[in-house]
Amino acid sequence: MRRLERILVGLNAAVVIACLAGMVAVVGANVALRFTTNHSLPWSDEVARYLMIWMTFLGAGLALRIGGHVAITNLHDVLSTRAQRLLRAGIVAGLLFFFGYMVMVGWDYMQRAQYQMTPALRLSFRYVYAAMPVGFTLLILHLLLIAKPFVLAGQYRTAEGADENLPGAANG
Amino acid sequence: MAEILFLSLFVLMVLGLPVAFAMAISVFAAIGLGSSYPQIVVVKEMFSGLDSFPLLAVPFFILAAEIMTGGAITHTLLRFAAQFVGHLRGGLGYANVISSTMFAGISGSALADAAGPGAMMIRMMEKGGYDRPYAGALTISSAVVGPIIPPSIVMIIYALQDQQVSVGSLFMAGVVPGLLLACGSLVANGWVSWKRDYRSDEARPDRAQMWRNTAMALPALGLIVLIVGGIRGGIFTPTEASVIAVFYALFCGFFIYRALRLRDLPGIVLRAALIAAAVLLILGAARAFAWVLVIEGVPQFLAQTIISWELSPILFLLAVNVLLLLFGLFMDPLPGVMILVPILAPISHALGIAPDHFAIVVIVNLTLGLTTPPVGSLIFVVSSAVNLKPAALIREMPPFFLANFLVLLLLTFVPALSTWLPKISGF
Repeated sequence: MRRLERILVGLNAAVVIACLAGMVAVVGANVALRFTTNHSLPWSDEVARYLMIWMTFLGAGLALRIGGHVAITNLHDVLSTRAQRLLRAGIVAGLLFFFGYMVMVGWDYMQRAQYQMTPALRLSFRYVYAAMPVGFTLLILHLLLIAKPFVLAGQYRTAEGADENLPGAANG
Repeated sequence: MAEILFLSLFVLMVLGLPVAFAMAISVFAAIGLGSSYPQIVVVKEMFSGLDSFPLLAVPFFILAAEIMTGGAITHTLLRFAAQFVGHLRGGLGYANVISSTMFAGISGSALADAAGPGAMMIRMMEKGGYDRPYAGALTISSAVVGPIIPPSIVMIIYALQDQQVSVGSLFMAGVVPGLLLACGSLVANGWVSWKRDYRSDEARPDRAQMWRNTAMALPALGLIVLIVGGIRGGIFTPTEASVIAVFYALFCGFFIYRALRLRDLPGIVLRAALIAAAVLLILGAARAFAWVLVIEGVPQFLAQTIISWELSPILFLLAVNVLLLLFGLFMDPLPGVMILVPILAPISHALGIAPDHFAIVVIVNLTLGLTTPPVGSLIFVVSSAVNLKPAALIREMPPFFLANFLVLLLLTFVPALSTWLPKISGF
């Protein structure tokens, strides 16, 4: 189980890293080409945007693992230990339900868009919109993996590949 | 439908659900219970919120700042700032503010400012005889300049909500207000240091050392010159600037500071990607949230109501300030900008307020919300970084609240502070 979890996190992280690195490479190459040869790649804009969409949904689960999503904890902090546990269990249950629902509507949306093509790449939109059901499936897995320590003690995992947790720059 | 939207968002957020998910769930609830729209429009709106080329600047600027931090930039900036002011009364406090301000030219977020140079500075100040809560409060206050001085993530998002401004013009508009906020923190630090007599026993480094420190800091400060200069000169767009910033940061880290190691890079990229993913997820959800408001006619209704009051522009700005300060007590800048700007910006245009001026008032105000209890993310970040209770930090905040509030009033009453630089830059 431990090993499976490590593999899942490692693979997930590798894909997320590849998405961001790919975005930098594609947009960077386009800028370099524009300055040196005055030409640009017609597909670079599209590729970068779709990589960003994938990065967002695939990264969401890993961010959840380490407590990277901003939440307001004022109510939580004034409760008794028992009530805190109940509240956290409620949050986990609610999120699981919501993630499952997102997988469903995301899948539906993907199915409907499968005959539309992206303008530059002529790629079926199915491959873009698949990011949502895949991402929310990963969110379910990651949430289940941290559920026990989170409900019992409010703990997240520490960040892999980084020595501290995210500052949560999501707040500006 | 709008009532269900706000009520469920409020309840879910108080319960402690992550903001992004709380927003998405309340949109589903509003659409499902209050309308006959299919739920799938929520998904459509979330995707169209993310499918945007200018938005690429958000992950890129986050990555550039993370790479710079990984390249030991924070030490360099601290040494550079401390050599000028370290020997004064309250000197390390000044150095804290100045290095935070310089770091603001590298990072686009207040929390990165507080977590990077801020956390390090608090440890240094404590060693230098300052009270830890005071050092923390100063760090909270000086981190506010992070998203005001370019680059700025909030400004990129703001420009997507209001067609009258561009990322370039907002970046220019933020420079003077950012420096004013820094001055406010400097003055507050001077006053407290004088009252408590925070003496400094730091020796001033000799001239050769000072030149060396300066030479080391220059490449880091070059990043903001590159971004602002490049955008102002029309050489590249903000998105292009952000990707150039990534390569510039890599170059500095590997060849100039030589503190960046190849094997650290995947971890840095991952960290940046996850921070960006959390930001973008909120953005996607907020887009769906704003869509519900628009089809309900909330912005139009509010605009008509407020315009019919025939407020003068300055009264309107003051009213907006009060509203945003209240909003900022509970909400962070990013969802704040996403929800409120589509409502408020059209009214401000109708009243003839300069778009850049209005944007700066909104952004500074909402960013100050990060420093105010009960929900102030900067307070939480610093309190967990230095192991202090939020209440201890908040007790030290009043001089800084006052200083920042006065700067906000100044920015409200004097539009030129925000509009002068964009104007002479040709925006």
